Amino acid sequence: MKLARYVKFREEKFGGVLFETRSEKVFALNPTASAIVREIAGESCDQPTLIARLAARFSGSSGVIESEIAAFVGDLRSRGLLED
Amino acid sequence: MAQAVPAGGAIPSATPAATSSGDLGAPLYIAWQVTNECDLACLHCIEESGPGKAFRDELSDSQAFAFLEQVALEQVPYMSFSGGEPTLHPRFFEMAAYLCERQTQLKIETNAHTLTSEGCERLKRAGVKAVQVSLDGATRETFNRMRVRGDFDRALAGIGHLRSGGVPIEINYSPTRFNAHEIGRAVDLAFELGAESFYTGRTMYTGNAVKTWHRLAPSEDQYVEFFATLHAKATEYAGRMRVHFHEMGLLEELRYRLRHPAALLIVLPNGLVKLINALPFVCGDLRRQSLGEVWANFQRAWQDPRVSQFVEDLAADPRRTATLHQWVFL
Repeated sequence: MKLARYVKFREEKFGGVLFETRSEKVFALNPTASAIVREIAGESCDQPTLIARLAARFSGSSGVIESEIAAFVGDLRSRGLLED
Repeated sequence: MAQAVPAGGAIPSATPAATSSGDLGAPLYIAWQVTNECDLACLHCIEESGPGKAFRDELSDSQAFAFLEQVALEQVPYMSFSGGEPTLHPRFFEMAAYLCERQTQLKIETNAHTLTSEGCERLKRAGVKAVQVSLDGATRETFNRMRVRGDFDRALAGIGHLRSGGVPIEINYSPTRFNAHEIGRAVDLAFELGAESFYTGRTMYTGNAVKTWHRLAPSEDQYVEFFATLHAKATEYAGRMRVHFHEMGLLEELRYRLRHPAALLIVLPNGLVKLINALPFVCGDLRRQSLGEVWANFQRAWQDPRVSQFVEDLAADPRRTATLHQWVFL
């Protein structure tokens, strides 16, 4: 997966923003969400790879991290912000 | 775990025009009026552009590219080139390619009269996000009446080149008393021409429109019908073409912006930076200041009491928008 063609990501002091330039919608991200999107924006990867990378960086049970990342990625997909 | 939400949190809204700019390190959107020169002399032009109307002090080539370099360094995600007619700038294609190579998404706003097949292929290769064409009429008669020196068929030919070249197309429509009734057909035409988006809103009383308002201004009854048609068309084309329109009046919008300054800068052809197109206030000069300095001053300038006073004066006298080109430096 990767950011959709018309989606731009920028880090900010509060976390980051995703900007979908076709609909001209802005999505505010807190630091955790921003860390996930940074991984996706940096290099195209599949979901298991993303989870593995982030699990190595965040503390918490692997099950919780996996389910929360899956939910977040699902949210991004439903908004058209990610593509394969 | 965080959620990506379009509303709430530190940034409470969903468009760069409505995003609280104070939390951001740089603008999300820069609208650059590349030149004030234009091959047309439209009745409603808010910039008073036209043949021979280029500013004497427009950015030099080196200043223009230095500005674009800053846009890239600040990671501004989105920029538009408008005018005047931006394609008349001698370095237009080079500037478009330069910006796209640096990962800023670019929209071109044009009358499409100068677009050729070769030019559209260059825009496609550069990777522009979209080209927005002004098409204020569904018929030759209304378009040519509005766009003095313009030609409906040339605009359609330009759009045809965009379509053939695979460049995403958007259509912009300014309503007047003599074209408002064509809005439904105009939306249909935009779709037939391959547009992905259609934009419209209320025509402003400023620029050339000040002199021609008696011929232009739609009645409120016309606006009611105009927006009702747009609501229906937005539904009809859902999932096939986006139909965007702003029903909000200028005063209402400016009062909103006082509370939520836009995350966008309006850059004039000479590098001066306006707070917003619908106000006369200038908050920076890119010939003398960095983009970062201008952005910081932009935040302060929105708090200047002269800005809120001007907006309230508009409530008493809506025709004060006639003075938007008499810049006030903050």
